[in-house]
Amino acid sequence: MLFVLAAVAGQQYVYKAPTAADWAAMAKLPDFSGVWERGTVGTGGNSNAAFGPQPTRGNQPPAGATGAAPQRGATGGQRAGGGAGRGAGQRGPSFTPQYEAMRAAAARQPQPEDNSTANCLPPGMPGIMTQPYPMEFLMTPGKVTIVIEAYTEVRHIYTDGRPLPQDSDPNFFGTSVGHWEGDTLVVETVGFNDHVEIARGVPHSEKMKITERFRLTDQDTMAMETTITDPVVLTEPYTTNGILKRHRDWTISEYICEENNRNSVDQSGKAGINLSLPGTKKD
Amino acid sequence: MFALLAAAAIAAAAPAFAHHSFAMFDITKQQTVTGTVSRIDWTNPHIWLWIDVPNDKGGSDTYGFEGMSPNFLARRGWTRTTLKAGDKITVNYRPMKDGKNGGMFMTAKANGKALSMMGGSDDPSQAYEQK
Repeated sequence: MLFVLAAVAGQQYVYKAPTAADWAAMAKLPDFSGVWERGTVGTGGNSNAAFGPQPTRGNQPPAGATGAAPQRGATGGQRAGGGAGRGAGQRGPSFTPQYEAMRAAAARQPQPEDNSTANCLPPGMPGIMTQPYPMEFLMTPGKVTIVIEAYTEVRHIYTDGRPLPQDSDPNFFGTSVGHWEGDTLVVETVGFNDHVEIARGVPHSEKMKITERFRLTDQDTMAMETTITDPVVLTEPYTTNGILKRHRDWTISEYICEENNRNSVDQSGKAGINLSLPGTKKD
Repeated sequence: MFALLAAAAIAAAAPAFAHHSFAMFDITKQQTVTGTVSRIDWTNPHIWLWIDVPNDKGGSDTYGFEGMSPNFLARRGWTRTTLKAGDKITVNYRPMKDGKNGGMFMTAKANGKALSMMGGSDDPSQAYEQK
């Protein structure tokens, strides 16, 4: 879709208004538009687990009803590879020796009580894609935009043919480009900051890359395969599979985490909570 | 809010708090307290319910309960007026580990309705307002 953004000298991509033909070409693509909620976790790849926890709709018991203590790690919300707990039949990432030693060392330490999401920082990639809040996919010529309700975030996926940046600034969600392989949107993302860990206590390298494959499996179901490669940290690509369900009668709601956040975590990982009635001196 | 990246098996039993863990709550315990709603904060990232509970000194104590997000609840049958100041309420909750008055809001009975943060069904009329 180079017709949208014209390449000029030095690989600069400059916005150019889409033409009627560009819009008409959109009709040939699968329709990902609309509001999607994470569905039940699929299987495949080398793990049965998605990055985040499973959805909590349906017949599951109320919060903590089983009494099982949730486990979480230092930057659990931002961990890329699944991290600490692994259920039966699941296989976590396979680390190179140096990084396996880091994982093992972290596992011997007491688990932090919370992570920086308690202070309203968002999870990084790919955790932001498995939050229990919906996401809206917007499709325009040369771009897929994902509006993420949780933490009020946005991912920008350029499908105009531009290459991945050679040296992008690291950030929570990286820098993404996408292309279509038949009916599958393939998104490649690089450039993650230190909030993104592959497992608790295991950083990623600058070579970490996430490849996502999105494809409709029926009218309102989308398969989402997520593969992390990092030749420095991982001995093999790490893939998880999830699904998204389209809710045609939903809209994205406002989510300002700082509005009334009474949770906190300090540098040591100790969690806090503000139980003072609003309007009183301690509030 | 589930920022929990816990084992899927564990997470399946945990509520959809995307944004923090349950470190402050004793999730091995459930307690019940009855009082009067003084305030409901229909706010992100989580709603907060404040109730006045009569004490043995002739006054009342304030209890604060952290619930799910309004976004989550609004898609499951709740509205910002499901609970209102003045409602008589019995709250079932996971208590604070430090013993302070309050905890994690699980379920409640108020105005003859059974209310839940999670429910047991995808049908909000059954899950969240069991008559």
